[in-house]
Amino acid sequence: MLQLRSISLVQFRNYVEQDFSFSGRVTAICGANGAGKTNFLDAIYYLSFTKSYFSRPDSQSVHHGLQGMRIEGNYLLNGEEQKLTCILRETNRKEFALNGEDYKKFSEHIGKFPCVMIAPDDVELVTGSSEERRRFIDTILSQSQPGYLSWLIDYNKILQQRNSLLKAAAEHHLDESLLDTFDEQLSEKGQLLFAARKEFLDTFIPLVNESYKNIAEKDDDIFIRYDSQLTQDQMRELLLTNRQRDLYLQRTGCGIHKDELELLMAGLLFKNLASQGQRKSLLFALKLAEFETLRQKKGLAPILLLDDVFEKLDAQRMHNLLSKVCVKEKAQVFITDTHAERLRQQLDKIGVEYQLIEL
Amino acid sequence: MQLPSSLLENAVAEFTRLPGIGKKTALRLVLHLLKQDVGDVQHFGETIAKLRRDIKFCQRCHNISDGDICSTCANSMRNQRMICVVENIRDVIAIESTQQYNGTYHVLGGIISPLDGVGPEQLAIGSLVQRIEKEETEELLFALSPNIQGDTTIYYIQKKTAHLSCRITTIARGIAFGGELEYADEMTLARSIANRLPVQQYVK
Repeated sequence: MLQLRSISLVQFRNYVEQDFSFSGRVTAICGANGAGKTNFLDAIYYLSFTKSYFSRPDSQSVHHGLQGMRIEGNYLLNGEEQKLTCILRETNRKEFALNGEDYKKFSEHIGKFPCVMIAPDDVELVTGSSEERRRFIDTILSQSQPGYLSWLIDYNKILQQRNSLLKAAAEHHLDESLLDTFDEQLSEKGQLLFAARKEFLDTFIPLVNESYKNIAEKDDDIFIRYDSQLTQDQMRELLLTNRQRDLYLQRTGCGIHKDELELLMAGLLFKNLASQGQRKSLLFALKLAEFETLRQKKGLAPILLLDDVFEKLDAQRMHNLLSKVCVKEKAQVFITDTHAERLRQQLDKIGVEYQLIEL
Repeated sequence: MQLPSSLLENAVAEFTRLPGIGKKTALRLVLHLLKQDVGDVQHFGETIAKLRRDIKFCQRCHNISDGDICSTCANSMRNQRMICVVENIRDVIAIESTQQYNGTYHVLGGIISPLDGVGPEQLAIGSLVQRIEKEETEELLFALSPNIQGDTTIYYIQKKTAHLSCRITTIARGIAFGGELEYADEMTLARSIANRLPVQQYVK
């Protein structure tokens, strides 16, 4: 069981100095636009991932006009008290400590205090390019499967080298055996990554479908499919077949960097057909499936951060979502909304104990 | 930095071109030289100029040499049918200090990385393949850095020498000698487990 008991923010974004403590599992946060609801959730995210959810430099997380910041969180992890401290010094040097002991490598921390954030901008995951979905899958796999991240880094390095050889070949002559060498190296990692993604998605996609049904109470004829060129052919063959085209285009046109998690609705592209509410429902389904996967792999429920979730969902979907995350999942949940009254009504309706913080 | 003499300024500028030397260190070195006897500094300068002018690279293995063939290649006590492939001369020095290796070397002058503009033709790979053909080399030992580019270089040379009956080996990768297991990084440890050794071989 993972639970955040208190957090103190010093010069973090719009907070100069403020402490919060949380008594129960469900914490509702409300406030007007610009009150700092998202910043509040981001602080919790910061403690789990040593960086902001929104990819921006650390220096932008400091209160305007001040220097340095500090976030401190007290957790209860499987019955033991744990203290996380994140300090950004005036020199922009970041220190991150667990129980007073500094981490040498921040990457060691990631995954120890799992958390899942759902923010309105995440809709890109459903409507954006395939890159968004690959990154989403890679993030989960990097956290849950040993070796995955290093294969991916190697793959990208070899890919860069191969592309730059293809570029050079356009100007000078081509060294075929060097291209063969890169093909072999790329194929080896590519096959490993493909196998890992396939195995993962075989269990992940049903989880997404199930979550969607829970929220929408119907499946809306949604179909999710892992689409990879490697499904039909071995990567080595693909590279050989496409070699002339690659040489012409001066980049590598096939491989797992072209994978797609295809989202279809009634046989058509989901993003072209779905309503705002359906998009949001599918986003939640993907994120909840991530939550479920992490829980199974880590053996403890991640902290759920829900930012502005009520927008665009109808009453029934909202109710289903809340009762799923607050009642059934037994995870610690932080929810933000602009209307205190709406939050209170919804949470009363599902009959869960909660604490309301007004910013 | 304002310097009182243009001669001084030129000397400082020359020193800053050396790797790892910044402007302040350069100034310190130059001022030190100024305090020495004229003869000493003359000798210093000449030694450097002579080094660059007179040094040769072994025609066989591209190692540093005083003559056309380096002392390692000329040494008949060493196994002339074994070649250790290294990236640069520093690696030769490192392996020589182990006193464990009794073959010859081949200095590539870099590793393959098209991203940095280094292709096989920039490296001494052609001469290596010719050398193996001509000398009927029995073993090729790769001592390259354990990273992607190192692997690329190994695979590439392996391809180029596939038609030859030369044994190809690479230095072992794993836990450092005298290291504590708990401080080893995960990738190294995982690799050591994957490539574990039978104990008989290990003790020997």
